[in-house]
Amino acid sequence: MDLDVRTKLFIAAIFSVLAIVYQDPVILGTLLVILFPVLAFLKTPLGKFYDFRKLFYLYLILIIIQSLFVRSGTPLLIIGTIHLLTTDGLIYGLAVVMRFIILVGAGLILVACDTAKLLLAMSKMKIPYEIVFMIQLGIRFIPILIGELSATFNTIQMRGADLRKVYKRKVFKVYMEIFTPLVFGILQKAEQLSILLELRGFRLYPERTSYKTITMKKRDYFVIALTSAATMVFIYGTILYSKGQIPLNLR
Amino acid sequence: MPYISLNRVSYIYNGRSKPAVENVTIAFEQGEKVALTGMNGSGKSTITHLMLGLLKPQAGTVALADRPIGDYSLVEIGEKLGYVLQNPTQMLFTTTVYDEIAFGLRWKGVSGTELDKVCTNILKHFSLWPLRHKMPLTLSEGQKQLVAICAVLALKPAYLILDEPTKSIDTFRKEILLKALRDIGREGTGTIIVSHDQEFTRRLCDREIKMVDGKVVADGSRC
Repeated sequence: MDLDVRTKLFIAAIFSVLAIVYQDPVILGTLLVILFPVLAFLKTPLGKFYDFRKLFYLYLILIIIQSLFVRSGTPLLIIGTIHLLTTDGLIYGLAVVMRFIILVGAGLILVACDTAKLLLAMSKMKIPYEIVFMIQLGIRFIPILIGELSATFNTIQMRGADLRKVYKRKVFKVYMEIFTPLVFGILQKAEQLSILLELRGFRLYPERTSYKTITMKKRDYFVIALTSAATMVFIYGTILYSKGQIPLNLR
Repeated sequence: MPYISLNRVSYIYNGRSKPAVENVTIAFEQGEKVALTGMNGSGKSTITHLMLGLLKPQAGTVALADRPIGDYSLVEIGEKLGYVLQNPTQMLFTTTVYDEIAFGLRWKGVSGTELDKVCTNILKHFSLWPLRHKMPLTLSEGQKQLVAICAVLALKPAYLILDEPTKSIDTFRKEILLKALRDIGREGTGTIIVSHDQEFTRRLCDREIKMVDGKVVADGSRC
């Protein structure tokens, strides 16, 4: 459905907030199950999730790290008197991964939006133009920076550095070596960009006009109302599930 | 037997309807000095990316030293082909000019006095010696271009592919580069130059391939 960007922002914000405030794996799992039909309804490119398969090892590390800090549950790995791995630890590790996927999904809702309209929506929501412009630049430059980084890594390999066949310590050393020039290059670009902006009269006038316009239609108000109601039901459901307790992660 | 060959190669970028390169067949013999010319968007850079295996053709085959390019890793391709991008900034990733030249040599196992000798020679030859302690990214565009070229030259590849090598280089250093490319050519190193600098390519190359709209429209030796 073709909804206003602000409606999509609202839905993305609801999912993000719920993913952050809840910790219980069952609640996060339910949220994840709800997320996918919503993404399909908003015509979000679900195929983008496939790109995150490369982060599989990161998920695994997240699960392990999270599980190390949870002592409750049945111990699975004990060293001396210390319970290194427990069933509860693994479940909470899984919850961290689910939270990550929900946040990515919420982000994808915005990826599918027209950038110009997204920025216009932010301006209408009284977000300062400078901040909106910075976000626009970020969106614009991330693919370029990724492309440049990829070219640099190609160059490193073409100069004989086979990063797959050496010790991880040496790979880490290469990354550390290129870190300073990389940050320097980004700062250099930012400086050049700021000079160009000033030369083109950035902030010369207090207000900016826009070629595109956005308007909230009846269906937008309906979807926002429906989302709000569904959120209330969800929160009520979580309270029932937690036997009257509010299962929030606000410690 | 050609060293690099493209056989009926076509390539379309994602989201485009028109191919960037269409049904191109070219063979590069060992030690040849070839100029790849054509207007902006004619497919010159795409051809170089296909030769390096950075892009995979949708049709046709690319071979390097009689083996399909897909059989090589990027490291193995780097041992045979030296490539300098149009934008040298993407090729500079160390904290000093000296380290930039030494990086590939160190990975090849060159060290100590031999490493120092090679780096010193090349830096002095291109008048970059006074800049050896500077961070490459702080240099002028022309100096960056030369550092990137020197870093590749130091590795002595069998073939050099230079994309707009003279774009920002001053006349003095252009002469030095010309002489260096002639010298390595005499040692048997082939060179493919993608350039709009007709004077430079005329003085260096003995073959010109002209491209228009992704197709080879002329391929012949220079008189």
